Amino acid sequence: MNEIILMFHVLCGVGCIITAVWLFVDVLHAGAANRARIRRLSWAAFIFMWSAFLIGGYWYVFDYPADKAIILQGPWPFAHSFFMETKEHLVIMLLLLASYLPVVTANNLAANREARRLVLWVLAVIALLGLMIEGDGATIAMGVKVALLAGQH
Amino acid sequence: MENIAVSKYTISFGLSLALSSVVNALLVVVKEKSHTVTAVMQKITGYQWVTHVAIILILFAFFGWWFARINNGQGPKIAVNRLTKTIVAGIVAGGLVITGFYLIAD
Repeated sequence: MNEIILMFHVLCGVGCIITAVWLFVDVLHAGAANRARIRRLSWAAFIFMWSAFLIGGYWYVFDYPADKAIILQGPWPFAHSFFMETKEHLVIMLLLLASYLPVVTANNLAANREARRLVLWVLAVIALLGLMIEGDGATIAMGVKVALLAGQH
Repeated sequence: MENIAVSKYTISFGLSLALSSVVNALLVVVKEKSHTVTAVMQKITGYQWVTHVAIILILFAFFGWWFARINNGQGPKIAVNRLTKTIVAGIVAGGLVITGFYLIAD
């Protein structure tokens, strides 16, 4: 069950990144035709991010301590001391950015070039920060794996 | 004055986002350097990270609301391009402090 929770956490995070990239392209071509879709997608990114955060937060608080102990005894202790520590704090900024997205896409992006550029920057940071955090998660998982493999030899 | 034709909440929550990102990073440094702060945060919710998240979310909501009320409820007068730079600067600064801290100082 824990693994399913964790996979759903990753799935929602990827969903947020994909939605941000999709939105980026839509905002580049913002007009009357896609205004409603831009609003819906910004709420989708918001929901994906909050879902990823709440699921990941639950897993981090209740299930991660066991993984942490394994990582710290293995050959990749930095998987926790650097990657998890940065991930758990950088993700808060990602949460704020995703929460800000529906606010900023409520403006008339087709008519306002500056607002459009603001949204593009927010989306670019969401996508880049999201990818970085996904990479952190992969390194943490690898930290557990190498620790378990090292324990078998 | 440059174009400010965006909602007041776009400006107020944008500034709050930049500010909260920096406070988030500073709180990381403070709690990692002070066992007392960590213990207090641990005591509030049972988990210091949960308290950390709650503090930042409350600050984000509070500053977003409060900034929108200044200037007789019209919100801050700031150009959108400047807001964009402020948000990006806040995120980059916060990210660098957090990453740099765990890479070097911790």
